[in-house]
Amino acid sequence: MNFEGRKYVVISFMLFVGIIYGFRLFYMQVIDDTWKLRAQEIAEKRKEIIPARGVIFDRNGQKIVSNKTYFNLMMVEDKIKDLDTLAFAKLIGWTVDEVRARFKEIRKGEGSFYNKHSKKRTSNYQKVRAYPFLKELTLEEISKIAPHLEKFPGFYEEVTSMRSYPFKGGANVLGYLAEVNEEEIEKDKFYKPGSNVGRAGLERYYEKELRGYKGVKYVVTSALNNAIESYASGKYDTTAVQAEPLTLGLDMLIQAYGEELMKNKKGCIVAIEPSSGEILAMISSPSFDPNLLVGNRNIRMNYPMLLKDTKKPLFPRPLAAEYPPGSIFKLVQSLIGLQEGVITEKSGFPCDKGLVGCHNHPNAGSIQEAVQYSCNPYYYAVVRRIIQQNKKSSLFEDAEIGLNIWHQYMQSFGLGKKLESDVFGERPGLIPNGSYYDKWYGHHHWAFSTIRSISIGQGEVKLTPLQMANIATIIANKGWFYTPHFVKSVGQNGPIEKFQVVHKTMVEPKHFDPVIEGMRRVVNENGGTARMARLEDIVICGKTGTVQNPQGEDHSVFIAFAPMNNPKIAIAVFVENAGFGGTWAGPIASLMIEKYLKRRVTDMAKEKRILDAILSGGD
Amino acid sequence: MRKDDKLFGEIDWPLFIAYILMVFLGLMTVYSVAYTPEHPSIFDVDKQYGKQIIWISISMFLGLLVFLIDSDIYQKYALPIYLFTTSLLILVLFMPPINGARAWIGVANLGIQPAEFAKIGAALLLARYISDLNIKQLNISSVMLAILILVVPMVLILLQPDAGTFVVFTSFLFVMYREGLTFDPIILKVINLYPGVKFKETWVGTHFIPILFVLVFISIITLLLSNVSFYLWFSDEPINGSIGVILSLGTLTIVALLFIQRFGNKRERTRMIIIILLGFTLTGGLSFTVGKSFNSLAPHQKDRIELFLGLKEDPNGKDYNRNRAMSAVGSGGWSGKGYKNASVSSVESNHVPESETDFIFCPFAEEWGFVGVILLISLYMFMLIRILYIAERQRSAFNRIYAYSVAMILFYHFAINIGMNIGFAPVIGIPLPFFSYGGSSIMSFSMMMFILLKLDSQRKDVLR
Repeated sequence: MNFEGRKYVVISFMLFVGIIYGFRLFYMQVIDDTWKLRAQEIAEKRKEIIPARGVIFDRNGQKIVSNKTYFNLMMVEDKIKDLDTLAFAKLIGWTVDEVRARFKEIRKGEGSFYNKHSKKRTSNYQKVRAYPFLKELTLEEISKIAPHLEKFPGFYEEVTSMRSYPFKGGANVLGYLAEVNEEEIEKDKFYKPGSNVGRAGLERYYEKELRGYKGVKYVVTSALNNAIESYASGKYDTTAVQAEPLTLGLDMLIQAYGEELMKNKKGCIVAIEPSSGEILAMISSPSFDPNLLVGNRNIRMNYPMLLKDTKKPLFPRPLAAEYPPGSIFKLVQSLIGLQEGVITEKSGFPCDKGLVGCHNHPNAGSIQEAVQYSCNPYYYAVVRRIIQQNKKSSLFEDAEIGLNIWHQYMQSFGLGKKLESDVFGERPGLIPNGSYYDKWYGHHHWAFSTIRSISIGQGEVKLTPLQMANIATIIANKGWFYTPHFVKSVGQNGPIEKFQVVHKTMVEPKHFDPVIEGMRRVVNENGGTARMARLEDIVICGKTGTVQNPQGEDHSVFIAFAPMNNPKIAIAVFVENAGFGGTWAGPIASLMIEKYLKRRVTDMAKEKRILDAILSGGD
Repeated sequence: MRKDDKLFGEIDWPLFIAYILMVFLGLMTVYSVAYTPEHPSIFDVDKQYGKQIIWISISMFLGLLVFLIDSDIYQKYALPIYLFTTSLLILVLFMPPINGARAWIGVANLGIQPAEFAKIGAALLLARYISDLNIKQLNISSVMLAILILVVPMVLILLQPDAGTFVVFTSFLFVMYREGLTFDPIILKVINLYPGVKFKETWVGTHFIPILFVLVFISIITLLLSNVSFYLWFSDEPINGSIGVILSLGTLTIVALLFIQRFGNKRERTRMIIIILLGFTLTGGLSFTVGKSFNSLAPHQKDRIELFLGLKEDPNGKDYNRNRAMSAVGSGGWSGKGYKNASVSSVESNHVPESETDFIFCPFAEEWGFVGVILLISLYMFMLIRILYIAERQRSAFNRIYAYSVAMILFYHFAINIGMNIGFAPVIGIPLPFFSYGGSSIMSFSMMMFILLKLDSQRKDVLR
């Protein structure tokens, strides 16, 4: 037997394996993508870079919301070696148990993801990944910890950025940021667990404008999840772009001043530039320092405290508090009466105290005088004529028609519905119409006499302070308004379209003149109800209100605009439980107007009186 | 004895150059994969590349020694060399274990692995032993002794344990096959124990290698199909894949029988029919047994087989190594990511474990892509076939058998090492010859190669 032929068996076997391997490699490397994708999954990580949030300027170009550097203390469990828990706890000022609890929390919570199909929460925690052990440390805090971190391998600091409010004011306007919830993550892919989102105020309304554009960096990572180098020399990387700044119509000077004036008082101030609808100030008192809600650590600590506060500092009063407007409502009633033709400028009604109480003043012989004296019986008469126009023989049917006409007028003044400003939390207030009273009294079971208290802004009627300020704006503009709004411009884009639409009321401009004259007299003439609001060199037109409050002291309210010719500011001031409108709300509005127009206040005594007043008792 | 004037005069240059080329490529790959900016110099002995240069230098020096010493000492001292390398295998069992195996002699960083050198000892003694045999008149004890030469080191290696090298020792079966060594004496002894049976030869003992591979092939097919069910056109009853294999074999048998009925001549017909029926019984039985016994395996063993066959996935757990290795190789693409750009398999990224030693094919494939890989495979094929060519031109059986041993050992390492990077072989840690970082590996393969070159260079000196 000769075995030499068997060499061919061996050779062909080797060649067979070689060729098969060649084909296999061709398939794996050239044809099939599976392993390439797998390799990307393994070694090439997308790293998102979150830009600092867009900053916010006020109308004078002052930065009122900026960003400040903070630090997270990160940990990678896999790199932690022989952790001296006691020493570590001491370093960060915790107890050993707290440190252990935090470790547990991170393992269970920080890296978890929620499967909405199975409704299960699974831990995605990986020992090789970095998780924040302590979040949002200030520079002072980290500088106490950082120098000692070399004794604790596996811990390191990381820079992050958070909001900072140099002016401690405008908390209710600006809002705050908080960690996203699952729903938000689900809805918008922009957010990852742990990222922040605007929770209230402008931060929330302009979230998309402020958050900017994330950058993406592709890095080659090791099995320990460390970035080694940028992938493909950064060919596919994009840079993070910070959002363009927002410029507000807000004037931080009077915003801060107003907050100062409203200290120890409950209520609010809203000021609007009539010609543009830009909100100049929106004070809600009591308020809080916006820096209290910077970072989730602060929020956890301070939010419950603010929430529990019986004075409700978190409640956005200017937008959400619905008050009866009181006598300032007479302005609108006058305008509707004139437009409907049920009265003229020269109409006079006696001050018949048998109908409704009034203070002592001469009989009003004209609209001007009626506004000046704020005569209650006069407006009973006016509104009776508006409601009961004798279009139907039935008193009840007639009242229904009249009220619905009146309701339409009110809506054209932006009352009884949301103004749709650029801030969350607005309430519509209440302007009753026919069907509203039908529910209370039954269809055709009510007439003017039933609902007469709406004449003088009491009863069912409710307005938000923003709507009150908007009434002042409308009167200043003689019949039209832009939706009141905060943002003047996003970046360099100029005003937002939505806020450039002129809303016309149903009242013609000519009817405004007598009302404005009346308002001038309120402040500037003897017998006016707001003489304390008078300024030497600026003609303020205003109207006081004293809102009857069955729960306690009356509310003091005042709306005004100034100067009389070419108005620059329209304002509403509402001070809860402060009594007569001319005593508190009037002077506060006057100080605000002066501060805004002249940038300083001349009557120090007036200012001191307001600052010293403590009016927020009684709750 | 005639001394050659020229030291390297008769050296086989193609093989030598292929060897040098491979060592160079290996070193460059080690440098690329283990490179760190802190240790930029390839001569930095703190890093694997610097050390590899030292190992290569030592190997070259050993090669020079081999060339200075007359080649007939290998045949003369085959037994002492074998005894020496085997005794090292015993000694190593008393060493402290590293990574769970007692495979190293010496201080942790500067140890050697006796198993690598045991292959040389076994190759030399086997060559010596078989060349002395009268291959046509084997008796049971001579065959047993041949087996014993392999079994002793294999058992010792299994005790370390080192499954990879254990498997490599089966490469000597090919050498035996080539030399016509038959296991018939043993098989006949067993069969003839059965009263009344008298065989003179069995086909099985002589053609064990082809038979072995047919059986392995059928077993793997059976396993691959054991998770699959299929339906025949006439019934709704699901049929297990392993039954399908038996059915196919049956069909094949019937077709073969029909052919023989039609074309075979009378004398051979009966014999062929018996062989075919016997073959069917054997293979069908094997299929059946494999299918059955697979299902009765312990879960973790079943796991391993299923992972290997790709019937199951566990990319981050039990299948981590293979999954990472295949990702690295596959991501190389047509022309690779470029030198030093292995993002998955660099030592620094550490996704592929042992990427400078057992998995060095990964970074090479990742950096050079299919183009580089096909060149590497071609280089190996060239080297293997060149060794076989050299083997066949030897005058002495000793030289030929030794050369065959070298070829088969290299081939096994090549096939298993690359196979485990592409999912074609189970992950058992054996180095890629000349490429992988490691002193024992580079020194033993170099020694093996230099002894072959030396034997070949003096092939004309004497008729051994």
